[in-house]
Amino acid sequence: MRMWIYVIRRLLLLIPVVLGVMTITFILVSGIPASERCLAVIGAPPTHGGSAALQAYYAHCDSKLGLNHPIYTQWAIYMGNTLTFHWGLVGNGSTAASVIPVIAGQPVTTALGWLLPYTIELAIFSLAIILVVAIPLGRLSAVYRNRPIDQASRVMSFSGFAIPTFLLGSLALIGAVLIITNYHWAGCSGPYQEMYGSWPKQGCMLGSSASNNNYPLWLQFGTVSTPTGFPTIDAALHGQWVVAGDTILRMVFPALIIAYGSIALLLRFVRNSMLEVMNLDFIRTARAKGVPEAVVVKRHAGRNSLNVTITVLGLTFAFFIGGFPIIEEVFGLQGVGRALALSVQQPYDLGLIFGTTILFTFIVVFANIIVDVVYAFLDPRVRLG
Amino acid sequence: MVAEVPSSSAATVSTRPSGRRPNPRIVQWKRTWYFLRRNTLAMVGLGIIVFLVFVALYALTQPYPWTDLNNYCAYTPGSGNFCAPGEPSVCVYTPGTAAPAPGCYQTPKQFPAFIPPTLTFSPFATGPLPLGSFIANVQNPGSLQFYNLYQGILRGADWSLMLSVSIVGSGAAIGLLVGAISGYFGGLVDEALMRFVDVMLSIPQLLFVLITVAVISQLAIFGDSLATRMGLLIAAFVVVWWPFYARIVRGQVLVTREMKFVEAAKASGASAGRIVRKHIIPNSVYPVFVQMSLDVGSVPLLIGGLIYLGFTTIFPSNTFPEWGTLSALSVNPSVLTSILVNSELNIQVYVPWWMMLFPGLMLFMFAISVNFLSDGLRDALDPRLRR
Repeated sequence: MRMWIYVIRRLLLLIPVVLGVMTITFILVSGIPASERCLAVIGAPPTHGGSAALQAYYAHCDSKLGLNHPIYTQWAIYMGNTLTFHWGLVGNGSTAASVIPVIAGQPVTTALGWLLPYTIELAIFSLAIILVVAIPLGRLSAVYRNRPIDQASRVMSFSGFAIPTFLLGSLALIGAVLIITNYHWAGCSGPYQEMYGSWPKQGCMLGSSASNNNYPLWLQFGTVSTPTGFPTIDAALHGQWVVAGDTILRMVFPALIIAYGSIALLLRFVRNSMLEVMNLDFIRTARAKGVPEAVVVKRHAGRNSLNVTITVLGLTFAFFIGGFPIIEEVFGLQGVGRALALSVQQPYDLGLIFGTTILFTFIVVFANIIVDVVYAFLDPRVRLG
Repeated sequence: MVAEVPSSSAATVSTRPSGRRPNPRIVQWKRTWYFLRRNTLAMVGLGIIVFLVFVALYALTQPYPWTDLNNYCAYTPGSGNFCAPGEPSVCVYTPGTAAPAPGCYQTPKQFPAFIPPTLTFSPFATGPLPLGSFIANVQNPGSLQFYNLYQGILRGADWSLMLSVSIVGSGAAIGLLVGAISGYFGGLVDEALMRFVDVMLSIPQLLFVLITVAVISQLAIFGDSLATRMGLLIAAFVVVWWPFYARIVRGQVLVTREMKFVEAAKASGASAGRIVRKHIIPNSVYPVFVQMSLDVGSVPLLIGGLIYLGFTTIFPSNTFPEWGTLSALSVNPSVLTSILVNSELNIQVYVPWWMMLFPGLMLFMFAISVNFLSDGLRDALDPRLRR
């Protein structure tokens, strides 16, 4: 089969999956009672005015949410709106809006556009740490199988998986305050201020050209950075290298904790696929003809074990872009994971629930396709089969 | 019918009925156990799991309440006792003054959150607060609420193991069934089921759990008891979890159904149901065991994450004795805020390290031991990795 036929077939298979996910989200959100959904969209019901006022309130809510249509019409409207990127507005009274005030009342697509780049940058940093550690360590533990280095890497990677991230993150914050700064955390400097929040506090923008050290124009409300949305790139584009360095510094601890927590998967995959490859005939041939062992490990076995690794890597990255609700909550980062965690707290934010679900589904599905295509490119047996 | 037995085996001393080959599945299990036994870390993991099971069994024999952390009423002497008669209570008083009565616990007035465990720091003490106490009222941070950490951890062994095993077990059972049917029958059935699995897998896991929990905690159609809510929590996790197993099983079944013994069963006229039940499922189940042992450890971690993110509504009482919950409560944002604010005001802060350490340690032990075990299982079951 030609490569492009394979790609097109994969893309066609995408359609039912996306439609299915949207339907399931629709069913789930339909399960939330109307009173809760009204609360999120138009605020609390009137306290006085009797039943007439209450009726008017619910009538208004129904027309606003489209609840006065039959369920299949609601579904059709929802599908149409979603496919044309009309994902609704972030509610004014929801938990998400009260915690991240900037996104209140904004279109969901806009809000996600503001929050997503931060998460992507954090995901890239975490993945870079994982890659740098996991691939050499995985190869080493395959070569020195069941020897001390293999056992050590096993204990290290599994312990990262077994410690809850919220505990590790909170301990890092507490430690920074109580041990390093000797109980002082307020003000503009110090480990805690460097670790908490995706940007410095209001009035603490050191190195910025704005007066009073307030947020400059390109960083509205400390959430919306222009033009790209990626914090480091934006700061660098505006020539503020101190701020750019600061944004990276703020990602060090979250990225380390994320990497520590999810390194086990990639490490085990690298090790196991390496072990499989090391038993194959061409490795024996290479050794027999006198290729040095280091070259055998690095070039013959290493490259051929990368196929699986790339698959896992791509899916991990897609999973990472899905946000880190817990880590972003612990470190107060304005990312998309935090928005997602907040959107499902009472009062709910239906727009954000729909929006984040569909966004992450698209990301996961496309990552799957890209990974499959890359895999088929690397391993011809897949696309011929 | 001695004549059937070959003469060589008559000479060897054998306990099994002569002439019958042992069940190949049992042989396989014995071989797996042999390879597993040589893996030190897997054996350590197995030991820890056995220990935790014994802790859970011991907890069952204890008279502690099964459903909550035995909240203590707190009162300040002199301000009037607001505790109901007979209610378990502690009294708190300012440091520097004399203890009003035995059993009172000294607490900084501005910061009454933490009582250091030095007072009765013994896991075997039977007093009201054997292993430290802690304010854990997230919904109403102003009110004092104490819980008994020792009892919580003990009871948490029951709940954590029960929740993990039932969630993963049900998910695996559904996944096994769907995967086996899909893989064996193929064609349109396979297409339909696998597209559905694709859909379920495309929704991000944590988000899916969050929404499902949010929706089903609203339903409350079966009343509002703890058992109901536990059932709903388990249901929410199972809904999210079974597609993983379905996909794994299907992949394995596609290999198994081409084997000679399936062909033989077909040739001898076995029905499709019998082939799936007797031949396909038992021979495709090994990767499921590996995945199950991996997943069991992550359930308490996920529940802890949910509680940390503020999903206390799923439990009627926010002091539900489960390791993930205990761990999440020990570092909940209101605790951190009080530590930070008070440390800046130069008020002496007791960091409740024992509250963070012990539930976290139990979680850690549980999760890492099942990981060691599943890694050992994978090595033992996969002949390519064994050598």
